[in-house]
Amino acid sequence: MSNTSHEVAQGPHHNSGAASTALSAHSIDKKFPGVLANDSVDFDVRAGEVHTLLGENGAGKSTLAAVLCGLYQPDAGYLMRNGKRINLSSPRAGLQHGIAMVHQHFRLVERFTVSENVILGSRDLPFKLNRREINEKVAAVAESYGLPIDPDATVGDLSVGQRQRVEIVKALYQGAEILLLDEPTAVLVPSEVEKLFENVHAMTAAGKSIVFISHKLGEVVEISDRVTVLRNGRVTGHVSGRGTTDTKELARLMVGRDIELNAQRATHAIGHEVLQIRNLSLSIDDVAVLTDISFNVHAGEMVGVAGVAGNGQRELADTIAGLISPTSGSVGISGAMTTDCGPVQAREVGLAYVPEDRLGMGLVPSMSILDNLLLTRDRKLVVDRVSVRPEASRLIEQFEIKANGPDHLARKLSGGNAQKVLLARELSGGRSATKLLVVCSPTRGLDVGAIETVRRLLNDARSAGQAILLISEDLDEVLSLSDRVLVLYRGSVVHETPGETAQLSQVGAAMAGLAAEGRS
Amino acid sequence: MRIPFRVVFEQRGETPRRLSFLVPLASVFAALFFGALFLLATGYSPIGTYTNMFRDGFASFNGITDTLALSTVLICTGISAAFAFQMNLYNIGGEGQLYLGLIGGAWAGIALGDHLPTLIMVPVVLLCGALAGAAWIFVPAFVRSRLGTSEIVSTLLLTYIAASLIKHVIYTPGSFFRNPNTSFPQGRMVADSASLESFGSSRLYPTFFVALIIAGALYWVVKRTEFGYRINVISDSPRAAHYAGINARRTTVWVMLISGALSGLAGAMLIVGPYGKIEPSIITLGYGYAGIVVAALARNNLGLIIVSGILFSGLRVGGNNLQVTTDTPIHIGVMLQGAILLFALGGEAFRRYHIHVVRTHDASSKKAPA
Repeated sequence: MSNTSHEVAQGPHHNSGAASTALSAHSIDKKFPGVLANDSVDFDVRAGEVHTLLGENGAGKSTLAAVLCGLYQPDAGYLMRNGKRINLSSPRAGLQHGIAMVHQHFRLVERFTVSENVILGSRDLPFKLNRREINEKVAAVAESYGLPIDPDATVGDLSVGQRQRVEIVKALYQGAEILLLDEPTAVLVPSEVEKLFENVHAMTAAGKSIVFISHKLGEVVEISDRVTVLRNGRVTGHVSGRGTTDTKELARLMVGRDIELNAQRATHAIGHEVLQIRNLSLSIDDVAVLTDISFNVHAGEMVGVAGVAGNGQRELADTIAGLISPTSGSVGISGAMTTDCGPVQAREVGLAYVPEDRLGMGLVPSMSILDNLLLTRDRKLVVDRVSVRPEASRLIEQFEIKANGPDHLARKLSGGNAQKVLLARELSGGRSATKLLVVCSPTRGLDVGAIETVRRLLNDARSAGQAILLISEDLDEVLSLSDRVLVLYRGSVVHETPGETAQLSQVGAAMAGLAAEGRS
Repeated sequence: MRIPFRVVFEQRGETPRRLSFLVPLASVFAALFFGALFLLATGYSPIGTYTNMFRDGFASFNGITDTLALSTVLICTGISAAFAFQMNLYNIGGEGQLYLGLIGGAWAGIALGDHLPTLIMVPVVLLCGALAGAAWIFVPAFVRSRLGTSEIVSTLLLTYIAASLIKHVIYTPGSFFRNPNTSFPQGRMVADSASLESFGSSRLYPTFFVALIIAGALYWVVKRTEFGYRINVISDSPRAAHYAGINARRTTVWVMLISGALSGLAGAMLIVGPYGKIEPSIITLGYGYAGIVVAALARNNLGLIIVSGILFSGLRVGGNNLQVTTDTPIHIGVMLQGAILLFALGGEAFRRYHIHVVRTHDASSKKAPA
C-alpha cells in the first residue's frame, strides 16, 4: 500500500495486513453537462469486506460505481487493482480485472434460461454449446455461495429476487472478485433482503469484495464493514465497524444536517367515505392484474397500499383515475360512479392523481410550469394563460418550488421540485376542489429534504380533510404515514391492518405472498 | 494497430444561444466551401458562380419575385410537413396531396364556370384544393390513429397513385380536365374569374400573402389555442395526454387532415396563380418533397418556415438560372442545394452534442490481458 497518501485522511486504515486493498480509486473526477458528479473522490475496497457507498440520489454513488466497473472513464484520477494502476476502457475490461457490476435494473434476457443468461457475453465459447456442462458449472458456482438456482429455468418466470441472484451468479461465473451491487435491496421484500445478505456474507467469506450501494441507513449499518458517505459528488466521511455505527450520524453526513423523517401521524377526525371500490377486477390480455378488490377511503384518512413493484399497484391507481376501464366492479368518488368515465369526469368529482412517473405522465417535460398547471384544468378554446399566471406564481411560492418563475420548463426542474409542481397542481384542485388524492411513490428518487416536504404536504392535505390513497413500494413510508395499510399481492388485497399497530414482519410477509391470516 | 484518440459525443444539457445562430451560418459557409471545391475541379470560378446565384436568386427584380413566387408554394408545403412532423406524424406524401390540390382546384375552377366574382371564386378554388388534399390523407390518418399503421409508408405510396391520377386526367382523351380544343394533351383552363393577376411584370401572385397569413395563423394556433396545447402535450408525452384525458386519436386525425389540406392548398395556389390549369409537368418538380426540406431547415418551427422557405426558393431559383445566364450546368446548382441541406442538417450534431477528441492513454494496459 504505497498510495495511502492519496486516501482521505479520516479513512480508517488498519494496517494489520489481514486484508490488502483489492481495488482503489484515487481523486476521481467525473463531469456531466452542468454537474460535477464526482469531485476528487477516493475510495478503496479490501478483499473480503463489504464497503458501502452511501448517499442520496444524485450524490454520485452510481457514477463512482460506473467508473469502478469501467462503464465510465473518469475525467481525472485513476484506479488501482492490487496495487497496480489500471485503465478500464469498458465494462469488459473491468471484468478482465475481476470487477463486475450488478445493476439496479437487471440486464437479463427474459426468454433465455438462467444458464444462457449467465454465459451471455462470455468469449471463448465453442460454436456448439455443451449445455449439460455449462449447467453443471453454473449450478456449482451458484451453490458454492448459497445461491441455489435452477440453470434451466426461464428468466421470465423468475421472481425479482431470483433474477437478482442470476445477475450475481453471472458476475461470479465470469470470475468477478469485486462485485458492485447497485441498490440491490430496492426491489426486494424484507425476507429476500435477508437472503441476499446471507449471500453477501458467503461471498466475503470466500474472499470476494463487495461494494454495496445504498441510501437506506438501516441495512447499510447491518451489512457494511466500512461506509463511505457521498454528498454532492464529494466524500463527506468514512465510518467503519459493523453494527457500531449510529444511523443519525450517517444521516447527518449524507444530508449535511439533522433530519426528522418519521412524519407524525396527526390526530384528526375521519369523515365520510370518499373513495368506494367494489369488487374491482381487471384483466389485460386475459391476464388477471387486479382481482376482486374492495375498500374505502374516508375523508381525512390516508390509506397506504404496500407491495412489491408489479403487483397491480399502477393499474389500481390508473383504474381509480379513470385511465383504465376495469373488467368488472366499480369505482365511486364522492358518491358518483366514475367507472368507465374517463379521467376528465373523475376529476370533475374531485379526483387528483399524482402518478409514479412525474415527468412524462404527470408533467409534460418540454412545457413550462404554467402550461403544466393547465394540463388537468379546463382550458378555453384560446388558452388563457394570463389569468393563471398569478396563481402559478403563488403556488411556486407556497410550495417552495425552486424555479425562475411560471415559465420555467418542467424538464429543467430537479426531481423534488418537479414533484412539488405536480403536488401543487393536484392539491390546488383544477376542475373542482380536490376530495380524493391518489399518490404513487411520491418520494421515490427524491433527496431527503424534498422527502420531508412531500410528506408534510401529504399530511397537511389529510388534515384538511382530503382522502388520500398512498401507493408506494417504500414500506417504511407506507407504515409511517398511513392510517390504514393494505398489502397488494398479485392483484389482490391480501392483508389489511391499522397503521399504528402494523407490524413490519407481518406486512413484509404479506408482500412476499405469505399472508397466513385473511383480511381483518 | 490502435488509433491513439477517439471522438466523444457528449449530449449537451442546454444548447448555448450563440450556437443556435452560429451553427446554421457556419453550415452554409461550409457548404459553399464544399461546393467551391467542386466548381474549381470542374473549371468554374466559385466567386463568379456564387455571385450569379445570389443575383439571380435574390438581388434582381426578376430574381427576388421569382423566389417569392416559388416560396408561396414551398411555404405551404413546408408548413404542411412541419405541422405534422412536430407531432411526430411523418406525412411525407405532401407531394401527392399537392397533386390532388391541383385536381380539386381545377375542378372547381372549371365546373363552377365564369359566374362568380373573383373575390368569391378564388377562395372557393383554394378551398376545394385544400379539401382534396385533406381527402387524400384521410385514409392514412384514420388507420394511423386507429391501428398505428405507419403514415410514412401509406402517404408515400399514395403519392405514386396521385401522380398516376394527374397523368390519367390529362392524357385520357375526353377527360374533364383535358383541354378539348387541342390534340396535344394539356389541361383545360379554369374560368377567368378563378385566375389572379400577377404583380406587374413579375410572376409573383397575391397568393404569396395568403401563404404568409396561413403560416402566421398556424403559428398562433399552436402557441395559443387549446388545439395547439393538445398537440404540444401529445407530441412531447403521449402518456401525459392520456393522463389528462386528451383524445390523441382525434387530434392525430385532425393534424394529419390539416397537413394534407395545406399541401392541397399549395396545389390550388398554382391553379389560381401561374398555371391556370393542371400542368402535368408538376410531377417532375417535387414541390411537395421540397416542403419536407423546408421544414427540416426550419427544424419544424412554424415561425421559421417563412424564412427557410424563401431561402430555399432563392437557392433553387438562383441555381436554376445558372444554366441560363452562364454556361454552368444546372447540376452544379442542384448539387449546391444538396450540399447546403446536408451541411445544415449535419450541423445539428454540433448544436446537440459537445464533440471533442480525447487521447486514449493506454500506457498502463500495454501488458496484454491473459
